[in-house]
This record gives sequence, structure tokens and C-alpha cells, in this order.
Amino acid sequence: MTDSGEKSRDDHAAPAGVPGPELTRRGFFSKGSAAVAGGAALAAALSPLRDLTGDNVPSVEEFLQKHYKAMTPEEIQVVLKRIERKVEQRYEVDVSVQDVKPLDGVEFVYALNVSRCIGCRKCVHACVEENNHSRAPEIQYIRVLKMEKGSINVETSDHHYDPPLVPEHDSYYMPVQCHQCAKPPCVKVCPVEATWQEPDGVTVIDYDWCIGCRYCEAACPYWARRFNFADPEIPSGELNPDMTYLSNRPRSKGVMEKCTFCLQRTRQGRMPACVEVCPTGSRKFGNVLDPESEVAYILKHKRVFVFKEDVGTFPRFFYYFDERGSRYHEPLDVVDPGDSA
Amino acid sequence: MVKPASDSSTASAQVSPAGIWAIAIVFAALAGLLFANPWPYQRPYAGAGLVPEWATDTATVRSPKLKPEVTVAGYTYPCSACHKLFPSPSETDRALTQHGEISLEHGINNRCFNCHSRTSRDAFADHRGAAIPYDQPQLLCAKCHGLVFRDWTHGVHGRTNGYWDASRGPLDRQKCIRCHDPHAPAFAAMRPAPGPNTLRMGDTQPDTTHHPAVENPLLIHKQPAESVDPKPGEGH
Amino acid sequence: MRLYFTFLLDCFRLSFVGNWQYHTWMAVLTVISLVGLHAYCQQLVHGLATTGMTDQVSWGLYIANFTYLVGLAAAAAMLVIPVYVYRNMHLHDVVIFGELLAVAVIIMCLLFVTVDLGRPDRFLHIFLRFNFPMSMLTWDVIALNGYLLLNLHICGYLLYAAYRGRQPSKAFYVPFVFVAIVWAVSIHTVTAFLYVGLGGRPFWNSAIIAPRFLASAFAAGPAFIILTLQIVRHYTNHQVTDDALLTLRRIVQVALIINIFLLGCELFTEFYTDSAHVASAQYLYFGLHGHDALVPWIWTAVAFGGVATILLILPASRGLKVLNVACVLAIVGIWIEKGMGLIIPAFVPTPLGELVEYIPTLNEILVCVGIWAFGLLLYTIFVRISVPVLSGEMTWRAESREDTKGGVTLSTATA
Repeated sequence: MTDSGEKSRDDHAAPAGVPGPELTRRGFFSKGSAAVAGGAALAAALSPLRDLTGDNVPSVEEFLQKHYKAMTPEEIQVVLKRIERKVEQRYEVDVSVQDVKPLDGVEFVYALNVSRCIGCRKCVHACVEENNHSRAPEIQYIRVLKMEKGSINVETSDHHYDPPLVPEHDSYYMPVQCHQCAKPPCVKVCPVEATWQEPDGVTVIDYDWCIGCRYCEAACPYWARRFNFADPEIPSGELNPDMTYLSNRPRSKGVMEKCTFCLQRTRQGRMPACVEVCPTGSRKFGNVLDPESEVAYILKHKRVFVFKEDVGTFPRFFYYFDERGSRYHEPLDVVDPGDSA
Repeated sequence: MVKPASDSSTASAQVSPAGIWAIAIVFAALAGLLFANPWPYQRPYAGAGLVPEWATDTATVRSPKLKPEVTVAGYTYPCSACHKLFPSPSETDRALTQHGEISLEHGINNRCFNCHSRTSRDAFADHRGAAIPYDQPQLLCAKCHGLVFRDWTHGVHGRTNGYWDASRGPLDRQKCIRCHDPHAPAFAAMRPAPGPNTLRMGDTQPDTTHHPAVENPLLIHKQPAESVDPKPGEGH
Repeated sequence: MRLYFTFLLDCFRLSFVGNWQYHTWMAVLTVISLVGLHAYCQQLVHGLATTGMTDQVSWGLYIANFTYLVGLAAAAAMLVIPVYVYRNMHLHDVVIFGELLAVAVIIMCLLFVTVDLGRPDRFLHIFLRFNFPMSMLTWDVIALNGYLLLNLHICGYLLYAAYRGRQPSKAFYVPFVFVAIVWAVSIHTVTAFLYVGLGGRPFWNSAIIAPRFLASAFAAGPAFIILTLQIVRHYTNHQVTDDALLTLRRIVQVALIINIFLLGCELFTEFYTDSAHVASAQYLYFGLHGHDALVPWIWTAVAFGGVATILLILPASRGLKVLNVACVLAIVGIWIEKGMGLIIPAFVPTPLGELVEYIPTLNEILVCVGIWAFGLLLYTIFVRISVPVLSGEMTWRAESREDTKGGVTLSTATA
């Protein structure tokens, strides 16, 4: 608006500014040059746009792509092929992008043993690698909180601990990631329905539908959502080629993303990357509707808690304890064997 | 500030060509300035950080072979190969002449034959002295660690890898000694993988523990740090 | 219909006519708008990394300004209510400036929301899958655009009627005026609910936010209009009576007192309870763990608000100079309080207790300043047009009489 206003301003000011007979060539010339200068200033203002690369300008198909739920299976296949092509072009790696549907009779639940986690952060990096996160700027779905013993106040937690060895004696550790809430506030607030809860309990995002308003990020009580503030950078060699539409395909600048319990793995029966890598076995995952599953056992037999139960989100992510905590801080060699023998 | 409409008194309702020229010059200068891009964008974040290989390695912390074997100077012998020649007494207090590399730090469990079978060295021993095969160490651990064993059998303690969906693949429940050294079973401390270095993260968290806003009024928090920790050996 | 286009064309031409001060002012605003546009293009290319926002503080100056401006937009209602509900005719002639302000400000609001989007190219998605009524943002889209249309209609109709030299027909605008009154309250309430409805952000999750919004809006808006009217009065021959200004003063006065009362309620609840949820307020007012970027700002806001209130309570503020000072203080104070003071602390500390401060970047500030300049540009044009139109200096008749020589008509308007 500014622009057109600017140019026309001078055009139209001409008859008005210098009435009738005084409309000299010189007056017209000055106004014309003001208009030209205004146009040049406008062009200069728009000049950064010349750096927009092809990746950042949506193609016609991308622009017209429908919402995930509105697409027919055939349309989805077309889109998947296009995404594959685009990813292959950019990263020069053969990839497969699939659309894996939720399984019937499955509700995913996650449980995390607070007594056993040692805070090694391997889950964080396994997640980054599996889910093709941007390495720069860095995006991570899991935050491991170093907590003070005797307290469960996250405000006194340390996110940036870096001792030579973990666990430290005065701390316990509480990793936090998306809790896949049964009443997800992030889904409720999204103005364009770009995020929703799948039948297996996982809240997903259609990265091609998100407008990047970050309302969901403000709404999440677990700080589980991440925004692509810049164009994500992933070294080609580190790209995980097994991708799905709703989970780990590379994201674009300006959209939200979040933990999906590694849909590309879990909907094919496998464990999420964070479970697979956890050296202590603190992380448990499964179908809670299966009474034989580990997570069903934990909910039935262990003392569990959910983080911030007061916000009423009904997370599918449970923390649990062992009957007796770990003995990391108790040097075993001082035990006098004579006493108990 | 806002000067619309008629200043009939000033009689300067129109702008002279000089004024228009001035505006033209201002716009031209602006165009030059913006084309020059005086405030180029600078990435507010570092390049990809180095993540060590081990940070994403899914291997268990230990990989014992679950066989009663010992390898000496490139040759592998079954345990019984030596122990046939040198049968042990049932109880001994004397210092070990062999296996000096083993430092037994297993709490009150400080006798070899609590676990190893005295009569059959290629096996462990259960409560009645019957053999437990080497590839079933969890049955041995269960002798004392009943609660943990119960948790383990349900997959609640210890690592499970592979498939949560049995119809698609095996659930791999890792045995005790893949994480715990039976002679020093405390889970070994390890190096933490690199911490977050997110966009504009700024300084990392200062020490918050002594800040008035979150000061804990409980007297225990006023004690020197050492005495807060429970006395070793207490309670068990 | 053709006549209507002539009207628009005349308005368009009129906006380029004025004395050297007007041209200087417009040129300065245009330059600033273009600098802002340049900054926004940078942002389009490089992403929102050009702003100071992070995953920790995911809303910043853009949403802060948006929030403040929504408040300003309701000012129109505060002018309309005395006139149409209480038949206070002091304000009758100046109501239109309030409504024009609402139009300009809502356009600014929409711009601030747009620049905050990560993918503005997907803007159309809002029409294809509109998460109504679940998402408060969709309510806000309706509220803001509805308010924009209402005010455009009212202003447009009144101006057009004046242009044609007719008495405006009440049936065509009075019902809309009443709808707009209710709507003005709704744009605030809905915008407040945008924040209030988030259980994960205790700083916002308080029922008093919406009333506070209204109170501060009803102070900042009329204060802004007082200043505008002073300017109109000074530079044009449009009639603005002292009584009109004093009626507005009364409104600002009462609204500021209510605002301070509500602020007190809020502060008491936060700090006396002293629960874990006080962290954000602690950060805002006193700093948390050595992080205190907002502390000087909020105390400035509190001081400005306090001084403005005292000035307005004192009879001295019937003097227009004092009134101006009080208005400026109130506007700036509320801008800080409603903008940065309301939005940013809710993100500090994060729900996981991390403390990351937000410092806007130059690029981000330029975008904001650009939008403000553009909004002022619009408002200046609106006022520029409406003064001669309403006073009957620029009419259709004048137009036809002068044999469609727009230039001559316009020069009579400005002479």
C-alpha cells in the first residue's frame, strides 16, 4: 500500500499541486522524479527478496496442497513422491517418505523411571538424529532437567549441566518431551487445524499446513513444541532416510514441529529412538491397551505421576519410581559385611 | 504533527517544486541506503555442534559373552579347564592367587561361592547348590534381588529394545549383566552428551539454589552439603 | 456507483494535497514505512531468526504491539458511548476521528499479526480450515475483521453522505454504531482470552486480564484521541470544543483509576500468595535470578501510569497542556504495560524453568516502527480527508460545479 500510494501520490499531486496554467514542464519533471525516486525506494525496500531461494518459495503444487486430512490416498501418494523428490534434490540422498496410518487398538503411552535416569542426554541426540532435526539452529525435542534432591521444582532445575560424569550425587534427572496429552492445549488453540491428535494418541503436525503463528508453542505447558526460526540445516550424511509425512521428514523454515513418539518407527512396531538408546532402561514405551505391555504393568503396579497434573492435559507420558531409589550416591565399599552376615 | 487540510493563513497550502525535489532526493537517498543493505542479517546461532558417536550408540554399556570362558594370551579356555585341576575349598579367607583383576564390590555379597558353583565352575549356583547356566544370569541375581527381578520380568527394570509389537518383531529384554558388572554392580557413571545450545540461548543458567526467590526454608537446606546426604549404608 | 468511485478518487487525490509541513510529515512516514518494509523482507528471506524471539520466548515485540493496538482500537467505542447512549453532544463532532483511528489501528493490528507469522504465504489456510470455535485466534480473526468492517462502514457512510451533501440516514449507521460498541468490548475480551485461556502460562491464566485490558484500553485510546484532536484543532479549522476534550479527560481519568485498582488486585494476588506461579511477576517487577531486562521498563510504566493518574485527578489537568502531558504519559505507560509487560514475562521462566531473556533485534524494531509509521500515515490521510469532507469543503456538488476539475475543487478545499 505504501508503495502504490507513494508513486501515485506524485502523479496525482501534479494537477492538484500546481493548478491549471502553472502546470509547467518543470513542475511535472520534479514530480516525475519524485515518483521515480519513490519507486526506486520501494524497489530497494523489496530488494532483500532477491535472496529468496527456490526452497523457500512455494511451488504451485505446494501452494495448492490440501490439508492432510482432506487429501485422498491418491493425492497423498502424489504429495509423498513430490516431497521425496524435493528432499533428494536438496540432500542428495535416497529417501523414502511414507504415510503410515495409526494401528487399530493401539494407544501409545510412555513411562520414564525417575529413579534410574542418570541424565546422560543420549536420548536427546538419538532423537535429533532419528527425526532429522535442524542441527543449526539447534532443535531438540527432549530437555533433560537436573533436579535438586528433595524438590520437584523445575524452576530450580539446571538444563545446562556439564559435569565430567553423570549422575551427580546431589541431583536426580527428569527428561521432558512432548507428553502427547489426551486433552492437548496445543491442538485446541491452532487456528488452522494444522495440528491434531491421532487415534493412537500422538499429536502430529501437518508441516505443510502450519502457518507458524506459534500459538501452540505458547499454549504448551511442557515446552514441547519447537519452531523453525531459520531454514533448518542437516548435514546430508546424517539424514535418516526412513521418513513419514507426519513425523521426521525435513521441515521448512517457519513451521512448528514436535515429538511424535517416532511415528516412523512406532507405527511399524518398533520402539522410539529415545527408548532404544537409553543406556539405563529408564524409558518405557508401548501400547497401553495391551494388558501384557510394559507400560500397562507400570500404570498398574508402580507409583506414577504426571508432570503438571493441575493443568488438566491428561498426558500419556508418565514418570514412575522404583520402590527403592538408586544407590548412586552410596559408596558400596563402606558397607560392613560383618553386620549383615 | 499531523498537518492535514487548510492552513489558509499561511497561504502555503501547496508545495513548491523545490520541496518536491527535496522529497525526490530523500527517496533516492533511501533507495541507495536500502540497496546497500546497511544492516545485513547475521546468523544468531552457531553451526552444527559436534555430537560424539557414542552419544547416539544404542549398544548396551556392557557386552559380556554369557559363556563360562576365560581368554588368556589369545587362547580361550572354559572355566572348568583350570578349576578341574585346582578344586577350591568350600570356604576360604586367604587372599586370591588368581583373578586378581576382579575387585569385588557387591555390597555384602563378598563370597565367590554365593554366585559361582563350587563344584561345577561352568555354572552359577542357586540357593540349593543346583546349577544355573551362564547364559541365564538373571536367575542368579534373582536370588537376592527379588523385587528388581520381578520388575525386570515385566520389563519395568532394565532395557528393552526392538519391537513393542510382538507380532512384528522380537522384544529384546536385556539381561542384568549387560548393564551391571556382577562384581561391581553399581551402574557406572558416564560422560554426559553435549547440552543444549539453542538459538540465542545466551548465558547458561546461573546457580539458582541460593537465590532468595526460591530459598527453601527447611532447616535441612541450611546444613552444610555433606550432612544432607544420608549416611552410607544406612537403611539397608 | 460512479459517484462513489469519484468520491474515492477525490479522497485519494486529496491525500496528496497539503502544505509543506504535511508533505514533510508524510514523506518522513513513508521513508520509515519503507525501511520497515525492507526489514520485513529481510525477515521473509532469513526467517524469524532475524527477530529476538526464541523457542523460549516465542512471542515478542510484534504480539506486544498487537495487544496494545487492539486496546487502542476500542477507543472509538469510548467516544461513541457518550454520544449515542448518553446523548452527550460535546463529542458528537469528533466521534468520527475515533472511528477512523479504529480503522487505522486495526489495520496495524493485522499487519503485526502477519509479520509474526512464520509462513505468511499460507495465510489462506485460515479460510480453508477455520478452527472455530475452539481456537481463540479464530475468534480474534472474526472480532478484528468484523470491527474493521463496521468502522469502515460507519466512517465511509458518514463521509460519503457529507460528500454528497446529504444528511446521513440514521437507519444506515446508527444500528451499526451500537453493534460496534459491543464489538469494541469484544475485540478486547477476545484478545485477552487469547492469553487467559492458556493453563500452561500462569502469568496469563488470570480472570482479571480481560477487565484490565478494557480499563487500560479505555484509558490509552481516548488519551490518544485527545492528542489527535489537539492536533486537528491546531492545524485545521475543524471545530473541536474544550468540552469534548474535557469529556474525554473524564473517561481517561476513570479508566486509569480502574486500571490501577485492577493492577493492585493482580499484584496482591501474585505476591501475597507467593506460590510458584509468582515467578513471572517476580521477573517482571524485580528480576529473577539476576535476569532483569524488563524491570526498568515496567517501573517506568508504573511511574508513568501513576503520574498520569495523579495529574488527571488534579484539577490542573483541565488545563490542556497538563492534559497533553498526562495523555502522553498514559499512552506510553500503557504501551509498556500492555505490550512488553504483559506478553514477555509469561515466557520467562519457561514452563520448564529455563530463564532466557528476550531482547528485540534491530530488524524487529524496524519492522515495528515501520508498521507504526504506516498506521500513522493511514490515519493522517483519513483525518486529512475527513476534515474538509465533513466541513463541506469538498463535496460532490463542488466537484460537478467545477466541471470535474478535481484540481480546482481540491485547491478550494485547501485554500
